[in-house]
Amino acid sequence: MNPRKTTMLERLDHSTGVKAVEGLGKSAMDKASVGGRGMLLFIDTCYQLPLIRRSIPQLFKQIEICGIGSIMVLALIALLTGMIMAVQTGSELQKFGLETNLGAIIGATFVREFGPMWAAIIMLARVGAAMAAELGTMAVNEEIDALRVMNINPVRYLVLPRMLALIIAMPLLTVIADYVGMFGGGLIASYVYNTPSQQFLDSARGILGNLDFYSGLVKSTVFGAIIATIACDRGLNTSDGAEGVGRATNQTVVASVVAVLVANLIMTCFVQQILKPVTA
Amino acid sequence: MTSAMSYEQLEAAAPLDPPPPGKQALLQIRNLEKSFGKRHILRGISIDIYRGETLAIVGGSGSGKTTLLRHLMGMLHPDEGSITLDGNMRLDHATTAELNSYRDRLGVVFQGAALLNSLTVLENVGLPLVEVRQMAPQLVYDKVVAALQKVYLPAGEILHLKPAALSGGMRKRVGIARAIVQEPELILYDEPTTGLDPVTVSGVNELTLDLQKRLGVTSVVITHDLPAAFTIADRIAMLYKGRIIAIGDRDAFRASPHPVVQQLLTGSTQGPLTEAFLQGQSRP
Repeated sequence: MNPRKTTMLERLDHSTGVKAVEGLGKSAMDKASVGGRGMLLFIDTCYQLPLIRRSIPQLFKQIEICGIGSIMVLALIALLTGMIMAVQTGSELQKFGLETNLGAIIGATFVREFGPMWAAIIMLARVGAAMAAELGTMAVNEEIDALRVMNINPVRYLVLPRMLALIIAMPLLTVIADYVGMFGGGLIASYVYNTPSQQFLDSARGILGNLDFYSGLVKSTVFGAIIATIACDRGLNTSDGAEGVGRATNQTVVASVVAVLVANLIMTCFVQQILKPVTA
Repeated sequence: MTSAMSYEQLEAAAPLDPPPPGKQALLQIRNLEKSFGKRHILRGISIDIYRGETLAIVGGSGSGKTTLLRHLMGMLHPDEGSITLDGNMRLDHATTAELNSYRDRLGVVFQGAALLNSLTVLENVGLPLVEVRQMAPQLVYDKVVAALQKVYLPAGEILHLKPAALSGGMRKRVGIARAIVQEPELILYDEPTTGLDPVTVSGVNELTLDLQKRLGVTSVVITHDLPAAFTIADRIAMLYKGRIIAIGDRDAFRASPHPVVQQLLTGSTQGPLTEAFLQGQSRP
């Protein structure tokens, strides 16, 4: 008896390569679907914005949790980063007698990149993860369903104050990170490389313009919206009990880091390549 | 073989029981079908829920009780079939405004009470009054105290406690207080006695009966606790593999010759429920 010959299509169906491509395609589709869901959540939250007056107490509570609660750790990290940067960069600049330019380098790095990025990283690790875990626990305990059957829109009641709090807190934290980071760099410049504080500041002022400062603030606002959207979306769509809460928290941190970096790249390119030549 | 019944006969839907005299249907469910992927959960549910009655829907795990309840909450849309409110409003095709007006008439007691852990008892019970009806704080306070007293809770002692500081039975009662604070026409109970000790179970059953008598609301109780169903319900329906296989008042339900109902009533390990479980499938 002759064994039946398999067709090319049948062989392709069982091919490891085809399965791998299928898996990649499915994964990409799932990610796109989650991204779309997050976008819809953001639009829905914007739509609820006029109703924020009904959530003022929750808004202040959230600003306190995510803003005031993050100041100390952010300031410490910014201070240390500024100092490390000054030590690293200063030793190289000193070889060429350019250590007086430390202010320009540290100022530009912090105001353009490190300030908003450190604020975003602290927020997504500290606040975004906690937000996803809190909302995820509420979802698995049916608290979100309870809100819906009471005719309370969870987006208005839970997401709006959280997102707005992050959007308000992020620029403030960024300003703090900028100044504390520069302060740390200034300390090292002054005590290690004998650069007077005034010279350090003048050097920073010489390179920084309003565009640098405002672009950093806009970046941080966008980062705040991204982190809150991802955290709330993952939290609200949590299932499968405690394991699901852990997964939502983990996904929030990973997705937020990637999304913040991609957004940062896009905004940096836009500022450096389009806005700067126009305003120069 | 557990009985002379075939698998088709075992899973056949029971006919709708005749309406009690003088009773009007608040909700009419017809041929409700729901699938999640390849899992066919509800297979043509038809049932009437009459004004002022307590209907218990019993069934084992995975029979579709929670899915049916979520349809009644307006949280799920059926694949096929309809749910009609007051004989004219299709819940399955309701607009947001219609769904909101239905939910204004609805109270839900969740299995784990679903109280918001960050809020106190006062804030939890008063939540719909503050957020939806936007009532003045003093009025909210008075209504919350009244609701807590209806479920026999010492309002003065627990108002400012958070749910974590309450016992399981107290949390359940606070959940019931939140469900009744808006004076709903229809209360849905999701496994109200699950996870409670026998004394608290009796307390919750008595409370449900008492609320029924005092408030005259329509109640649908989803449970797998058969003694509780017999204590509180006017009618009992049995859900088995996504179909209502028996429905009627307590006596009619008890007299049902259906082997699944009889096995559930006797608690026997011999019968179609365990046989299907041991075979790991419902059909040969």
